[in-house]
Amino acid sequence: MDRQFLNLMQLCDSNFPTGAFSHSFGLETYIQDDAVFDKNSFSSWLEAYLEEQLLYTEGITSSLVYEALKRDDLETIWELDSLITVQSLPSETRDANMKMGDRFLKTTIPLYDFPILYTYREKIRNKEVYGHPAIVFTMIAYGLNVPKETTVISFLYASISNLVQNAVRGIPIGQSDGQQILHDFQNHLIGAVRKIEELSIDDFGITAPGLEVAQMNHEHLNIRIFMS
Amino acid sequence: MNTWTGNLQLKIENKKGKSIPKDIYFQGAFKLMRPKYFDDSGQPCYFILNPGGGYLDGDRYRMDLNLEEKAELLLTTQAATKVYKTPNQSVIQETNISMGKDSTLEYVPDPIIAYRSADYIQHNNIHMESGATLIYSDILTPGWSPDGSLFSYDNIQVKNQIFMNGRRVVFDHLRLKPNSQDIGGIGLMEGFTHVGSMIVICDQVSKEFMERIKEHYSEDDQKYKMGISSLVIPGFSVRILSHDTQTIEEVFNYIHQTIRKELLQKDVVFLRKY
Repeated sequence: MDRQFLNLMQLCDSNFPTGAFSHSFGLETYIQDDAVFDKNSFSSWLEAYLEEQLLYTEGITSSLVYEALKRDDLETIWELDSLITVQSLPSETRDANMKMGDRFLKTTIPLYDFPILYTYREKIRNKEVYGHPAIVFTMIAYGLNVPKETTVISFLYASISNLVQNAVRGIPIGQSDGQQILHDFQNHLIGAVRKIEELSIDDFGITAPGLEVAQMNHEHLNIRIFMS
Repeated sequence: MNTWTGNLQLKIENKKGKSIPKDIYFQGAFKLMRPKYFDDSGQPCYFILNPGGGYLDGDRYRMDLNLEEKAELLLTTQAATKVYKTPNQSVIQETNISMGKDSTLEYVPDPIIAYRSADYIQHNNIHMESGATLIYSDILTPGWSPDGSLFSYDNIQVKNQIFMNGRRVVFDHLRLKPNSQDIGGIGLMEGFTHVGSMIVICDQVSKEFMERIKEHYSEDDQKYKMGISSLVIPGFSVRILSHDTQTIEEVFNYIHQTIRKELLQKDVVFLRKY
């Protein structure tokens, strides 16, 4: 239990080098448009990002990958890898996740040595799959016997926590405001995981058009501190 | 179930450079008008007609399109698809498209208008082979409602899946459920009412071509907000939010015609039906 807890803390630490530090997933477009400029406007964006996009993509994926690992059904995992990658129409966001998936594997393989991580890396190298951090994270958590709901909520927490850190630097907002938002988001995260439990593959990839347009337009921003 | 409110099958083959219908079948509330030929390329343009005038509770529509190698088809509708109140069962439209090597499909239907309490689900499954070119667009719009509210429909859900040589290359799933979303808020419709989506898959699409399209629309226009981005294979998707259908149609038409002219060496066509 203690070891499991410590491992999760390490994986969810925003200092863990996944590359998430460099990605705003469209937030920077809103910042430059003055649509996100303070704590409240950032909170609204973050809520939409979690509940209208992240939940239906990375959230469902984590949950379904976990189930597939239980059944030793690798085909479903590779299918989800393809689905989650091509459902991202904004190419920067798609590339960001591919890069982060790769980086995440590189850092975690020496730490955990789970065979599934090698298999995933091999398939990425052979260009049979794309690679995605939600899948890597779920493989590790499953390997550590972390329960499914904890796995999904930990992954969502790590994503949200990274975005809060990026908002602190990018908007900027105060460190305390950032922590206040993260704290307030506990309810949203718990709600998201509950909702994911009720969803099926039919709900996969539901997205929000405004978020996507901003993610697409990030490619064309003149001055950027984030890569997506 | 094999009872469809409307069912349509269309198979096009290329015979000595001319695309001709090999198989046409339609039944119920789907009709095809006689094809038009806009230029001398031999590409037929078919208009789909819904004689019932609109989609009602529990209606189920199915369309199967089959383009053989090098076959070309321009397909559109004769008017907007109107979805009325659907209190019990969603209206479902399912379209399966198979496109042989080097075939070309331009599928640009009129908008879907969802009226009060409408619940509409649309699935498009497209299987393409090497060298095939696809230009697809859809526009989702709210219908007029007596109380003046902008989002009085219950649900519009559009799922597009595209495969190239068996490999999934596009998965696009939009679902607007105004009653359970902050529909006008940040991230969703952001103060707009209409959303358009376009998907182009074409070997001749280059980064430079996309940049030019993007630049054409770079001015700060309050009338719409749009994004364009490349796919995992040559091609791109466009998402656009606006206050009216015409703005989206103009953008899509410009992109469509520019592709016809510059990438496909075809004449510009005018699909205005009114």
